Amino acid sequence: MTGLPFGEWLSQNQLEIIFRVQQHFLLSIYCVGLAAAVGLTIALLTYRYVTIPNISIAVIAILFTIPSVAMFGFVFSLTGNALLTLIPVVVMYGLLPITRNAIVGLQAADPAVIDAAKGMGVGSLRMLWQIRFPIAWPVILAGLRVSTQLTIGILAIAAYVTDFGLGIFGFNALNNLGSVNTGNQALACVLFVAAVALFFDAVFVLVRRFTTPRGVRV
Amino acid sequence: MTDTLGPPPAAQAEATADDVDTYEGTGGGPRPTQAQRIVTPRDAVLPIVLVLTLVALYTWVQGQTLDNISVNILDTGAIISATVEHIYIAFTIAVLVVLIAVPMGVLVTRDRTKFLAPIVLGIANFGQAAPSLGLLALVGIYYTGFWAVVLILTGYALLSVLRNTIAGLQQVDKGVLDAAKGMGMSPVAVLLRVELPLAVPIIGAGARTALILAVATVPLGAFLNAGGLGQQLIASIKTDRAAATLAIAVIIAVLALFLDWLASILQRAATPRGVR
Repeated sequence: MTGLPFGEWLSQNQLEIIFRVQQHFLLSIYCVGLAAAVGLTIALLTYRYVTIPNISIAVIAILFTIPSVAMFGFVFSLTGNALLTLIPVVVMYGLLPITRNAIVGLQAADPAVIDAAKGMGVGSLRMLWQIRFPIAWPVILAGLRVSTQLTIGILAIAAYVTDFGLGIFGFNALNNLGSVNTGNQALACVLFVAAVALFFDAVFVLVRRFTTPRGVRV
Repeated sequence: MTDTLGPPPAAQAEATADDVDTYEGTGGGPRPTQAQRIVTPRDAVLPIVLVLTLVALYTWVQGQTLDNISVNILDTGAIISATVEHIYIAFTIAVLVVLIAVPMGVLVTRDRTKFLAPIVLGIANFGQAAPSLGLLALVGIYYTGFWAVVLILTGYALLSVLRNTIAGLQQVDKGVLDAAKGMGMSPVAVLLRVELPLAVPIIGAGARTALILAVATVPLGAFLNAGGLGQQLIASIKTDRAAATLAIAVIIAVLALFLDWLASILQRAATPRGVR
């Protein structure tokens, strides 16, 4: 196991690494965006009820417990297309934190606050937009953040059946344990995926700082 | 009538002055339900559905025409022993995680060691950003087998439980702690009888998520020869046998749901009645 030193391996594979980082980065933006759109829609449609949100969360949670490797393998054997496998499955896994947090957040407003707003003559749309949503925002943002981290991790696993993202390095390493550049590939997978994840985390910290209404700040 | 979804309207109206007092800060609005019993008839639904799913899967697989490879993958004896291994791995991880994460969380929230909390959280954040896949590959170069996989996944799951333990302990109302101190409780008694019970819902939520993620990652452990249903899964994906992949995926999912169900009941049993 005497492969290239890590630095040398990096510079030799520079182009591929940059390409895969970009791919991972963009795919996670697309998938989180889609998951946010779907999750928030579900939350907005259901938060007013008692049973329906619980049922929808339970269904999403059940999908979430299915191991991603299994899901990728199965969906890929049905669709046979890399992107058509990757995006729906990754979005499905990112859905749980967003939907759950959005529903919990929208339902979390103190009944006394809602009563006060009603008493001031606030209508239902304004109630949602000006009262429930700002109160829920930190919780929704936390859900988005968790979902982004999950998405980045699951995108890595998606490389098992597709050719996208940084996970390729990890699976190449796992498939060739003991060969010369295994260590470099595994290390590249860990470091660059972590870098992408930490970058998004930093973005969320900034977004939370600048968008949380002052009264709700924790 | 006591369900976990929400209080019936009548119960809300009956909130007495005493109730309002114990649930300060809600302006006398509706309070969370108190499910009195730990196990309700509703809890029987999931196991029944899971058993029905397995029966349906079995009948469906029996009806398929399978080639030799699929038949080998779906060999009943092999699946049962792999399932036992799978549960064993997941259970070991879950126990180790709780045994390590909760004391660590307690440690870094004590007054004297409070300064450690941001450091630990920083490490936890970084660790969680690293992909389990890459960590498995990295460790797999040097160590393989059951304990290698268990230790990686434990370390990985540890982070989210640790984070939730810290969050759970920090959210305990300072007034409650003062009251407990004022009643003459020792710091250990405050921790064991007030802080930890009040933090159980949050710690439990973290532990369950960690368990789900661990169970979902155990299949990848088969790359490191740790056993479990991952062997069959990888074999069926590599040989492109959709029926076998589906069957193994469903079994793993049923297993994960069952373990989560078990954890949810344990969590409820550990939660004090007033917080339930």
